Amino acid sequence: MSLLSQARERLRALVSRSREERDLAEELRFHIEMETEANLRRGMGREEARRRALIALGGIERTKEEVREARSLGLLEDLLYDVRYATRRLVREPAFSVPVIATLALGLGANFAMFTFLDSIFLRPPAGVEEPGQVRRPWTEIQFRSGAQFWPGYSYPQYAAIQSVVGDRVHTALYLYPRDTRFGPAGNDLQVRVSWASASYFPLLRVRPEIGRLYTHEEDRLGAGANVAVASQAFWRRQFDGDPAALGREVVLAGRPYVLIGVVAAGFSGVDIDATDLWVPLASQPGWGATPWWRNHNVNGFQILLRPFVAMEDHTLEERIAAALRTPEALVRPADTANAVRLGSIIRAQGPGKRQQEVKIATRLAGVTIIVLIIACANVVNLLLARAVRRRREVAVRLAMGISRARLTRLLLTETALLALLSAAAAVLAAAWGGALLRGWLLPDVKWAASPLHWRIVGLAMIAGMGAGLLAGLLPAMQGTKTELTGALKAGGVDGHARRSRVRATLVVVQAALSMVLLVGAGLFVRSLTNIRELRIGYDVPQIIFGAVAFDMRDSIRDARLPQALTEVAERLRHAPGVERVALARMAPTRGFSSVPFYPDVDTTRIPKPFATYNLVSPDFFAATGLRLLRGTNFLASTGGGMPPAVIVNEAMARAQWPGMDAVGRCLRFEPNGQCYGVIGIVETALFDRLIEEPRPQFYLPLENPPPQAGRWFSSLIVRAQPRARGVASAELQRALREAFPGGRPSLMTMEQALEPEYRPWRLGATLFTAFGVLALIVAALGIYSTVAYTVAQRTHEFGVRIALGARHRDILREVIGSMLRTTAIGVAAGVGLAIAGGKFVAALLYGIKPTDPGVMVGVALALFLIAAGAALGPAWRAARVDPVTALRTE
Amino acid sequence: MADERSDLLQGTLELLILKTLSLEPMHGWGISQRIQQMSRDVFRVNQGSLYPALQRMKGKGWIRSEWRTTESNRRARYYALTSAGRKRLAGERAEWERTAKAVYGILEWRGATG
Repeated sequence: MSLLSQARERLRALVSRSREERDLAEELRFHIEMETEANLRRGMGREEARRRALIALGGIERTKEEVREARSLGLLEDLLYDVRYATRRLVREPAFSVPVIATLALGLGANFAMFTFLDSIFLRPPAGVEEPGQVRRPWTEIQFRSGAQFWPGYSYPQYAAIQSVVGDRVHTALYLYPRDTRFGPAGNDLQVRVSWASASYFPLLRVRPEIGRLYTHEEDRLGAGANVAVASQAFWRRQFDGDPAALGREVVLAGRPYVLIGVVAAGFSGVDIDATDLWVPLASQPGWGATPWWRNHNVNGFQILLRPFVAMEDHTLEERIAAALRTPEALVRPADTANAVRLGSIIRAQGPGKRQQEVKIATRLAGVTIIVLIIACANVVNLLLARAVRRRREVAVRLAMGISRARLTRLLLTETALLALLSAAAAVLAAAWGGALLRGWLLPDVKWAASPLHWRIVGLAMIAGMGAGLLAGLLPAMQGTKTELTGALKAGGVDGHARRSRVRATLVVVQAALSMVLLVGAGLFVRSLTNIRELRIGYDVPQIIFGAVAFDMRDSIRDARLPQALTEVAERLRHAPGVERVALARMAPTRGFSSVPFYPDVDTTRIPKPFATYNLVSPDFFAATGLRLLRGTNFLASTGGGMPPAVIVNEAMARAQWPGMDAVGRCLRFEPNGQCYGVIGIVETALFDRLIEEPRPQFYLPLENPPPQAGRWFSSLIVRAQPRARGVASAELQRALREAFPGGRPSLMTMEQALEPEYRPWRLGATLFTAFGVLALIVAALGIYSTVAYTVAQRTHEFGVRIALGARHRDILREVIGSMLRTTAIGVAAGVGLAIAGGKFVAALLYGIKPTDPGVMVGVALALFLIAAGAALGPAWRAARVDPVTALRTE
Repeated sequence: MADERSDLLQGTLELLILKTLSLEPMHGWGISQRIQQMSRDVFRVNQGSLYPALQRMKGKGWIRSEWRTTESNRRARYYALTSAGRKRLAGERAEWERTAKAVYGILEWRGATG
């Protein structure tokens, strides 16, 4: 009963806090009046009677405070009061709270966005998989032209060999990375991501159907696969509105009908960062060519998943797989016998394979975001310190009124915690937004399986935000309550501590140094990007459009007609609006290559043959792409079959095969002692497939009368648009392809789009480093401004005196700005050191510039000085304008 | 003059307030006056600690308060004992008597042999 009434009393007090306060004030007023009257009756004067009454009570405010303390027996009430008080303060001081929340949110948000990105690539196992830690992916070391590299792709014969060796201890599954596949009837442009997966795929991952069923081993029998499909829950909701009646319905994938038999449990959308919409049995994959794909070593993009069901060392498993891959049926090339096998996690990015440059940049940027956070924290400490000083008088007054120090500390801490909480919440928002932005920037082609935000991120953001806020707030809070009463009250709020201004100067040095590091990074990446952009790659990229046509299924009759049909399309396009030139080629430049054995007319024991690729091109190819003919002549335009055997080589090929000789007039043969194909011209060496590459030897064969060894097929149209008419030309190309191939899908790509992935890492480095660098600079400038403004406010009196004594305005201006520049100089010097030390981490990501580039260093240092001077100018101006009379009177 | 009075012992203030309020509901100033009067001016209630004590006791549910008009027609907050308060008074009183008896016993001690 009493407990209940206590609770009721507290609740009432809680709800009606302001009424309580009014009641208390009235009660005490009544008390003072009664006591005053009693004193009057004792014969005192009115003034004296009232004074005595107040003394007897021990002060109204003090009593109120004690009653409040007696009232707030519960922590909750205290907290609520403190929170309300703190909120009021923060709202009343937007000049303080907004910068603090904004800086912390930016600093933390940048970090969480980056963490989110790295988390979804490196750390988070795919959702919906049970015990993902046990699932392994095997990687095999393969010799590529660029060197040895671990690779996760296998052919079916290799998988079969592995399965037969380790199948008694390990569950195995095979799948194909999800691919864009046309969905629905012909003419439908909807693309869905389809993954071909063995029937063992779902049981291995322990994924269960939500509705319907998964396909069985019977349905996945090679050579007799069933056309059934299993959908992801997201796809089922998107495409069928989550209608259970969708089961049993027909879905058409790349022109082939499948029956939807089940939907997997929520959350599961494959084991890669790309989401899978539909899974179909491996065995339902249509074969092509004479050899079925499951006996063909060249169909080798399959991924293998393993889950041991008998305890087994990774090392043992690796050796068994390596042994399996060495068996004759699994051996792709005799040279592969020594290949090492390494097991990796289910998270592909954790495997031993090569990382994309974008991901490498992301890891460097993670360091950058931490620097931004440090700068932000320094700034917040700075702001809090300045404020703690401003509050000394207020704190002193409260202490004089009888509030306990513990209570006061709690109040200040609550305020900081509230600030931290708000910052953390803002940081989560910034992270959600920034995370999506980073995904779009860094890996725009991925259709993400996982959402960027994850409870782990939110939790972490909250903890880190609170931690950072409390740490930053603790120091000022402790200093604040240590206030000596008389000193603070007398000093009139002037900060007398030189030590504290040293702390603030140090913070400015730290900020300047770290900003320097980030801006040097930004400068280096921007210079890299300009260097890359200025790289002559041979092609007139902005004007070029590639065109081709894709079909769902192979058709030998149509394939035979294709060259003729494409030639007709090219002929028609030549006069279309916006089109300058049209060429035909086997492959669009940079999109692929062919190679064929060749025999040059030199002693190949003395001058070894280079690895050279070729393309089959029409005579307008060079004019259309912008490749310059350096020597000799072009192929002749169609002569009606009378074309003499000819070849055009690029400069790299000419140098490598005929060093010190004139290549024009030499011979290339395509069988020993065969027909001589005379070199009639030399063109400049164009980009092969990477922006940064050794010059690649290439040669060009004419579409008409190529050597029989090369074959005659070609499939690409290359359109050169008139300047600034690429849109018009693209539309014409699209229309022409549609008209010529009613059953096919025109695929168009500008050369800019084709090369975009090549430029992207460079642009990204420049964009992101600049973005973070500027962010850091803004934060640092804010710090400098607030420090100078604060110092000036503290020294108003001094400046007033000096002006009164005859100091000139510009002396004061010079002194204030000069002292800030000296502080900045220390920061810049430290920053140069740090930037040089940190240079090796980014050196590999730069092009044509060293991390220690003096130009960048000097430029950034100058920029920092300018910014520092600019930030100090306003407050310094105020200092110089101090009116001596006012300044002296305010004391 | 003030020297002849004693400050209240810690903890006895609540007992005295309970006793005062058991006679009739009273406002804060009245309570302080009544205690002083009942102790024949020996006890001087520290007015500064009276109101926090009242607040604490209200929080524990021993007393309740309401606004009433005084004889001189002024609004004042009156405190009254609750049933829990009455029980508490009985308990405190018994405790006090036990303590007082013990203290008195010590003061009257003349030795086991005497």
